Amino acid sequence: MELTDADLLARVLVDGDQHAFGELVRRHQSPVRGLLRQLTRTDLELADDLAQETFIRAYKNIRSFRGEAKFSTWLYRIAYNVFRDDARKRKELVGIDEAKLQSEADPQTADPGLRHDLMSALAALPLHERSAIVLCCQNGLSHDEAARVLEIPLGTVKTNVLRGREKLKKMLSAWAP
Amino acid sequence: MNEPPVTEDWLDVRLREEAPYIDDAGFSKRVVTKLPDRRSLRTQRAVIIFLAAVFSVVIAYFASGEGWFVREAVARALTLSPLLVLGSAAACGLLLSAAGLWAALARGRGQAT
Repeated sequence: MELTDADLLARVLVDGDQHAFGELVRRHQSPVRGLLRQLTRTDLELADDLAQETFIRAYKNIRSFRGEAKFSTWLYRIAYNVFRDDARKRKELVGIDEAKLQSEADPQTADPGLRHDLMSALAALPLHERSAIVLCCQNGLSHDEAARVLEIPLGTVKTNVLRGREKLKKMLSAWAP
Repeated sequence: MNEPPVTEDWLDVRLREEAPYIDDAGFSKRVVTKLPDRRSLRTQRAVIIFLAAVFSVVIAYFASGEGWFVREAVARALTLSPLLVLGSAAACGLLLSAAGLWAALARGRGQAT
């Protein structure tokens, strides 16, 4: 029987079990790395470095996870803080790495052109709209959860999602049915 | 309540469908090799607390006229009857045991939920 996230967390908390934490990383790495790739505008190396830092920070502060939110939501919040800290240090925006974006595209995708356009359109959005769209529309967080992750008011999240969606629809109008 | 904004709008469907699954490709192993040893974290914390305690005691000693009140307390304790000293020690022991038991039960309840 597969252990739940709660079982694995208990093992990490009680014994400091690094294998249990490794399993948690394996389960959550894709959405966390995906979020950071969107935030860093698909700079894959930087996103993976930040994802690594996210999980290490989560491990060090695992006792502060009270189980009030989902573990994934807690991870997103750490990831967003790690990204923000890094952005403050760099004080510069990174551009879209088209070559890397192409090489990362899943070969099984039904329409690689659509994925490319979608990713480019997302990357073209301002950070506050992009992060709200990725959290709510791609990762299925509620507006409430996204507000907690991004540490902004609920109304601002709703506005950012709405504006971001409008811009995306305009940019992707060629793909509309 | 703000539920996840799942709708059948074509953009939402596309955003969900086109979110690529990122293959682990050794990522979790790399993270695990870089995790700090929890024992070293605990030792580090204990050393910091111990040093802070020693530092506070030294400051308190000099700030209070080289601990005259401690010498006075010891001198006063020596004049007390052995029965009273024994009674006080037993009361302190019981109090500490009760606090320890309460903390253990609280921790046990926290882990069970």
